[in-house]
Amino acid sequence: MALRAWLLERTPLASIEEAVAHKSVPRHRYSVFYFLGGMTLFFFCVQVVTGALLLLYYRPSATEAYESVGFIMTRVPFGWLVRSVHAWSANLMIGAAFAHLFSVIYVHAYRPPRELTWVSGLLVFFITFAFGFSGYLLPWNELAFFATRVGTNMAGVVPGIGDSIVHFMRGGKDVSGATLTRFFGVHVAILPAITTALLAMHLVLVQYHGMSVPPSEEARVKQTGKAGPSMPFAPHFVLRDLFGWTVALALLAALSAFMPWELGRKADAFAAAPAGIRPEWYFLWMFQALKYAPATVLGVSGEFLVLIPVNLGVVALILLPFLDRNTPRSRRVIKGLATLALIFMIAMTALALLEKAP
Amino acid sequence: MRRVRALLALTLLMTAVAAAPPRAQTPVATPEALFKDDVHAQAGLACSSCHTSGAAPDGPVERTKIAPLCATCHANAEYMKTYNPQVRVDQYQQYLTSTHGKRMSAGETRVATCSDCHGAHGIRPVSDARSPVAPRNVATTCSKCHSDHARMSAFGHEGNPPEEWKTSVHAAALLKRGDTSAPTCSTCHGSHGTAPPGVTSVALVCAQCHVREAELFRKSPKKAIFDLIGRGECLTCHSNHRIQKPADSFIGLQVPALCATCHNNEMKGAAVITAMQKGLSDLDTGIVRANGVLDRAASAGMLVDDGRLALRDAHEDQILARVSIHAFADKPFAATAGKGIAEAARAEAIGNAAMGELRYRRNGLAVATLLIVGFLATLWATIRRLPSTGA
Repeated sequence: MALRAWLLERTPLASIEEAVAHKSVPRHRYSVFYFLGGMTLFFFCVQVVTGALLLLYYRPSATEAYESVGFIMTRVPFGWLVRSVHAWSANLMIGAAFAHLFSVIYVHAYRPPRELTWVSGLLVFFITFAFGFSGYLLPWNELAFFATRVGTNMAGVVPGIGDSIVHFMRGGKDVSGATLTRFFGVHVAILPAITTALLAMHLVLVQYHGMSVPPSEEARVKQTGKAGPSMPFAPHFVLRDLFGWTVALALLAALSAFMPWELGRKADAFAAAPAGIRPEWYFLWMFQALKYAPATVLGVSGEFLVLIPVNLGVVALILLPFLDRNTPRSRRVIKGLATLALIFMIAMTALALLEKAP
Repeated sequence: MRRVRALLALTLLMTAVAAAPPRAQTPVATPEALFKDDVHAQAGLACSSCHTSGAAPDGPVERTKIAPLCATCHANAEYMKTYNPQVRVDQYQQYLTSTHGKRMSAGETRVATCSDCHGAHGIRPVSDARSPVAPRNVATTCSKCHSDHARMSAFGHEGNPPEEWKTSVHAAALLKRGDTSAPTCSTCHGSHGTAPPGVTSVALVCAQCHVREAELFRKSPKKAIFDLIGRGECLTCHSNHRIQKPADSFIGLQVPALCATCHNNEMKGAAVITAMQKGLSDLDTGIVRANGVLDRAASAGMLVDDGRLALRDAHEDQILARVSIHAFADKPFAATAGKGIAEAARAEAIGNAAMGELRYRRNGLAVATLLIVGFLATLWATIRRLPSTGA
């Protein structure tokens, strides 16, 4: 109690306690979506902790990276667990982030005044992909090496500056030790710094505005004239969140014990690319779509023509709160477009997964 | 009416075609057609280059004159180097030293001459896979005569060497695996100077490839014994044409082991044979066991690179141990096999450790799952006990 009194005197603990005590979470049939953001945050925290532990032994050079990961997996006590949890959690985090994004679109939670919450969250979502792309190369294995070569090549289709972008990403003409070093720097310093700032902004804004209620629920409240049901944030919502996180932790442990993340063969720049090489599952839809692109259309690269609508889609996504007129028709159009995009991504991913290696 | 006429005309035409006498079959390939693909044609030579009135009149060249005719160019270094500075020009000299050449010079025209192996008008370079003397085709080319019992019995030759060779480990390497460095007829017998190696020189022929085995054998006590009794060194155990893939079962004192052909329990050397048999068996068993446990660990997602490296060393020692049998003594076999057995045991230990680690992880997971489930149950109970917030 003395510590509490000491803290109350020196920090805004009292006002935080007051805010938490009065904070409530709306209850309706879409309430389960509220847990997806927390789940993504949980996986992010797991990434921070396991990533920091991996940093103790990982060596970011072409000559030592693969060996150091092998060392972590075989010699370091519980190194296998830490590395497998880091790899599995990265994938589950991206899955949770996808679910969070689409749930927000479907319940139109980006509506004013939550534009900045949406933009900050979306930027964190894109950075999550950058985390995945940069982290994939770090074990310096064959699959990662060639997938990174294919992935960085994509930037080359941008007219005029494509080659410069590829050169900048790789730190040279081809994927090499220089690429590994800069991917490591980006993965452990630049991206975490940006993510921390954006995530802090996102969470503060979520607390400031409170949970968004879907328009359909708002209309029902208006009709009945009664305030919708809600539950206290603490302990009701927090305990439910904790329940979900514990299940996620159990899932991570089971995946790591029964399906340890493979290390594969060490990267060899002079070796032939293994057959059927492809990126991680979350990039597969784009990879497959690019496969169907013709070489050129009227002198313009087919890949560039595929990347144009994808990039326009990204811009439209960022501007979504400003594009949505907040009318029932506009919301139906946005839901329809989101569903089409989801179907396209799932179909392309399925086609890529079903495609047999040559 | 027009349709009826057309139908009638078609019927007559078909009848005429069906009743026409069969046309003479077109020859598969005339000398002129074959010569178009001939290496000589590509070099700018013509029919008259060989079929000159002086050297050979129009029509087939006499068999006894074929080799000398070819030699007019192929033994002429000054002429041949205008086409290829690296080309050999000793084929005719070699041929004259061969059994074929000697008999042909004596007027025996049933023996092979240049055109029997290389063809007459469609000659291709040896590097061309379609050439009858390309490595994969040599045995088939030789078999044209050497598998003809009626033809060969006239020369006192029995058996069917090309067919025997086709059942050998060498044929499997060349014909199935496409390893063109594997020996075929001409590798051991020579090509232009072809002759059967004598009993005493067989080992020298085998030693062209099996260097280490030959070296060990020459220093072994067997060398003097085989020389004394006139046995072909390699042939005694491995035979000549139908050479089988060596197996550890060759070693032992019980039939069908090869050693048992000459040795029994009472004879000198029985202890060495028994020790070799045991060493090979222990090494093979160790490798199989280690491979099994490493495979199981790897398929369970464990990293067992160290074990794989140890297993590779054990494999290399196994090869060396099998080779060192040709010393017919404890040394260097015992040391090599012992090292391999130790490496296999190390690989197995690494595999077992990985499996142990896997069990430890799964037990740990089971304990963690129990704790998590307990925590979840408690959490759920706590949530259920929370004051209701209304529907």
